[in-house]
Amino acid sequence: MKWQTKLAATASAAALAMTMGVAITPASAADVVLKMAVPDWPPTRIMKKFFDEQYKAPSGNKVILDVDFIPWPDFYTRVNASLTSGEKKYNMSVADSQWLGAFVEGGYFRKVNDYIDADPGLKATMAEIHPAFYDAYSTYPYKSKNIYGFPQFPDVLVTYGRKDILCNDDEQKNFKAKYNTKLPCTGEEMDNIDWTLFQQIGEFFQRKKGDMLAGKPADDDFYGIAYQAGKGYDFASMQINGFIWQAGGDIWDETKAPNSHAEGVVNSPAAVGALDHYLSLLKYMPPVVKTGTMDIFKSDELFREGKVAMNIDWIGLGEASLDPKTSKVSDKLVFGMTPGTRGADGKMIRWNNLGGQPFVLMTWNTDLQNKEGMDFVKWWLSPAIQNEFAAGGGQSAVKSVYTDAKYNSYRPWNRAWAASLDWQKDVWHVPPFFDLLTQQQDQFDLAITGKQDAKTTLNNVAKYQENLLKEQGLIK
Amino acid sequence: MADIITKTPIWEKLGFRKASGVSEAGWGHTALAAIVSLIYFFPVLVIIITSFKLQTDALAVPAKLFPTSLFGLLPESMTFKPTLENFTSVFSRAFTNGGAVENTGFDRFFFNSLFIAGTSVLLALVIGTLAAFGFSRYPLKGNDTYLFIILTTRMLPAVVVIIPVMLMLRVVGLSGSYLGIILLYTAFNLPFTIWMMKSFFDELSPDVEDAARIDGSSDRRVFFKICLPQVLAGLAATFVFGIILTWNEFLFALLLSSVDTRTVPVAMSQAVSGGGIGVLWGLLAAIETLFLIPVFLVTFFMQNQLLRGVTFGTVKR
Amino acid sequence: MCRSACVGLRAKGNNATADFLGMLHMTTTALPPPPTAPDAPAFLTPALDNWRGAIAAALVLSVIAIAALPAAAAFWTVGALVALVAATFVVNAFRRHYYGGLLVAPAIAMLFVMNIFPLLWSLGLSFFAYQSNRQTMKFVGLHNYIQALTSDIKAPENWANLQTTAVFVVCTVAAQMLVGFLLALLFAKQFPLRRYLLILVLTPMMLSVVAVGVFYTYYYDPTFGLVSQVVNRMCGCQYVLMSNRAGAIGGIVFADAWMWSPFVMLLVLAGLVSVPKYLYEAASIDRVSSWRSFWTITFPYIRGLLMLALLFRTIEAFKLADLVILLTKGGNGTMTISYHVLRIAQEQNKTSEGAALSYLLLFVVIVLTNLYLYVANRRSQEA
Repeated sequence: MKWQTKLAATASAAALAMTMGVAITPASAADVVLKMAVPDWPPTRIMKKFFDEQYKAPSGNKVILDVDFIPWPDFYTRVNASLTSGEKKYNMSVADSQWLGAFVEGGYFRKVNDYIDADPGLKATMAEIHPAFYDAYSTYPYKSKNIYGFPQFPDVLVTYGRKDILCNDDEQKNFKAKYNTKLPCTGEEMDNIDWTLFQQIGEFFQRKKGDMLAGKPADDDFYGIAYQAGKGYDFASMQINGFIWQAGGDIWDETKAPNSHAEGVVNSPAAVGALDHYLSLLKYMPPVVKTGTMDIFKSDELFREGKVAMNIDWIGLGEASLDPKTSKVSDKLVFGMTPGTRGADGKMIRWNNLGGQPFVLMTWNTDLQNKEGMDFVKWWLSPAIQNEFAAGGGQSAVKSVYTDAKYNSYRPWNRAWAASLDWQKDVWHVPPFFDLLTQQQDQFDLAITGKQDAKTTLNNVAKYQENLLKEQGLIK
Repeated sequence: MADIITKTPIWEKLGFRKASGVSEAGWGHTALAAIVSLIYFFPVLVIIITSFKLQTDALAVPAKLFPTSLFGLLPESMTFKPTLENFTSVFSRAFTNGGAVENTGFDRFFFNSLFIAGTSVLLALVIGTLAAFGFSRYPLKGNDTYLFIILTTRMLPAVVVIIPVMLMLRVVGLSGSYLGIILLYTAFNLPFTIWMMKSFFDELSPDVEDAARIDGSSDRRVFFKICLPQVLAGLAATFVFGIILTWNEFLFALLLSSVDTRTVPVAMSQAVSGGGIGVLWGLLAAIETLFLIPVFLVTFFMQNQLLRGVTFGTVKR
Repeated sequence: MCRSACVGLRAKGNNATADFLGMLHMTTTALPPPPTAPDAPAFLTPALDNWRGAIAAALVLSVIAIAALPAAAAFWTVGALVALVAATFVVNAFRRHYYGGLLVAPAIAMLFVMNIFPLLWSLGLSFFAYQSNRQTMKFVGLHNYIQALTSDIKAPENWANLQTTAVFVVCTVAAQMLVGFLLALLFAKQFPLRRYLLILVLTPMMLSVVAVGVFYTYYYDPTFGLVSQVVNRMCGCQYVLMSNRAGAIGGIVFADAWMWSPFVMLLVLAGLVSVPKYLYEAASIDRVSSWRSFWTITFPYIRGLLMLALLFRTIEAFKLADLVILLTKGGNGTMTISYHVLRIAQEQNKTSEGAALSYLLLFVVIVLTNLYLYVANRRSQEA
């Protein structure tokens, strides 16, 4: 091969690329563009709207928030591919709290301690965030001093209830006669539901088409309770974790690595008992649970279509049940905290897995972009904006906002919000998070669809986790 | 082959046309075919019906399948009140409860889908036809191996190539641009186009070409004046197959498009989990129904070509 | 790659029974290059028209570049090498009035850049320990392949997924062939309104997979779904289609076969309508039974197309993932190997492992495809 040929070929390839590259024009000096990847749903739409209407950068620069609204089902796929391919397309992104490890270790999410230390105002704001959410959304390793993210939409599980069914006199009377306890009807009564009562409600409200339901014949089969039991993403783990923690069991504890183990913890008798308990309630739920596809959206849909009396789901799905256009029960709603486990002393033991999403900055941003990004974060977490966000259907983890009396008036579920925050924990944030989750979900699905018992399930999970975590050098 | 009659009587347009090699059947056969077709079409029909339903009617039990009660013939529980709301919300709706009505960008997404699919299929057709002619008339050494390798590129799950492709497009500054995704789709369509068009060229009788060459026609003239006109039907068939396969491509579109170049199959997921609501049945059905129309029309109007084309290419000798 | 099978596929194109070969045969009606053309340069000759040497050199250098250089530099190196190969093609073609090369060049270049190069890239990656979100790379040789085949955690899972995939391939391809064939028989005759009824049957393959998957979850849903509503009414019980493996596989196969049977139908129909009418007339004069006339007259015309449909649909069936994701998320024993690869390579970012598994899958598909071609060829030679 002649070297001239090579040279000519290289030159022509370069020329081609340059002609193509010219099309990209840089923004003018005073314009700062922050390109942000977000899932397409109301909390992010509201944020964008507030930004466009109200935000004025304190620096005087013209800041443009260029938001890429990506449909929820493909959000992870899109963001993950964009980050890992080295595309460097986004300056900011909404993430799930669990993704932090994978993307921090990969060098994509930027540690922002330097900016926070330099800004006492922002530091004060960060201190205002509820510790459970601060730990889950901001820190990596979990509960360390390194700060990466900020709450975009914090979320917890709450119980959705049907007032018209639960408060019906006949049902109340029959329930009392059968179980010698009051059928919960108000929000306060729902706050006090433990799993035993929850199970009784499930058992009590199993009605066939034509059976009497709240004084009239049911027009379709009706069920008492529902919660997530789906194979997709994390749609069983988020509920099962709560059961395990309440029973005194635990998941693998990343904060104590490398000395904490999965074997013996994940499949401890307490955890096996908790999973059994979780599985035992499934038989009271709508039949779709047998297919392993009753995820958070399916149980919500069943609730909105009026097929269940009570559903445990994220607040993030709540707006749809309030809207008569998407809900047949919009005027019959009551909300409470999720059930707890009654301890020997009669006190309620409560734990749950938190939800929601933080947002983060990227490592390849320019200093100017980071500065403007942090100013935007500060503005977003300011009480005025957080209040406005909550009034528009968002949630806030900022203390001065959620402790304000008017917070509860924004949405009917907000009464359960502040009380729920203290007993939220999060699942692992380590880089192989998706391996852990996928295998666990596969195993839980086998249990949910009745293919194996709780003990085998958790033994398999523990074995896999122990092996993987050792392989990755996370435990000894 | 049926002659293309310049002036077609109306009854022939209605399907009465006779073609050689095809036996005739009457209305009895039509009845049978109609029953089978409607059963086969039923799931699509449900999607189309759903596009006229409000969210609260979409999942009703028993299913509401009729837009009218036919003057009381059908029970009220099986009928719904048709609405066009879903079709307007495809293009503009409020994204938050009680928020202002905003443009959803779907006008752009539809344009993108049309533009990207149309351009890439045409491009693949041009490049692929040339290559097919080359493979057919001027075989390289190891011609069959090349053709098999070309087929092999369709055998792997797309996810395997996606990361290198993304990286490549970024390096040349094409990520998220029309050009990038069009080039990728062109490559995606090439194997099928080459295989299909090669078979058409292979079937042509070489006598005419040889005669033309002896008369002193250039190779270019042979290609444009003799070969190409004979495979027009094949081009039409390949175009339709290409459009059908490209129109609904999802994974590459998801990962390689930006907001400006997003196609409908990607944006459609918006209605699958419509802002934390789960499936917006009516909206999803409306998007799918609108999205079906262009490719439906293309297929309908090229139907004769499609059938004749495939025939011509693979069998006639 | 397919020497043994494809060589046999050549020629034998001289009667209508070999229509399948019409689609597959590789070298007929070819004009030899004009005799005035100079000889091709030897493989190792450094000449501008030595395209074979250029390809070999480019491949070797590309692999080295990808392995040794940072991504951006590797990209430009490989880009230059591709341009070089293209240039040798062009020069070669001009020197020898060799229009084949010129005609094929754009397609080869396009496929190389957009398809083959990324494939080689991932083939290269499969020999490394590389996770796309970790930016470190270590050469591990065949480790990923060995792990996929022998590790006591991964191998049984891969094997199970491959078996499930095989079940899907057999069921869905068989269903598509059968339904497509029957539909084609129905539409082979000319009858009133044929155009309008035919387009109805073709519609399913024009739909987006996302919409099909989501709407089939609705059809199969035990509470809201149409299937359960009908069955519940008949049996008075609660029918849940997707609650066991057979039901779940059946449900997915039904949706997939429904969507793609029209594809088979179109190809078969093309064969059916091309049978010359006089053959049937002759057969009816000879009072040949309809069964016999089908086998001796009709079948030879459609066999090749059936095989072609079988080939294309099998390749696609091996890639079945989207409907599984939408309908079951792989639950109830419906996990396919393609979905497994997707999870490994995409969700868990285990790029190398996913690539290794894909190439094992590719090997299976290539062997199977060649087997198809070989059998098809043998059968048509016998006929």
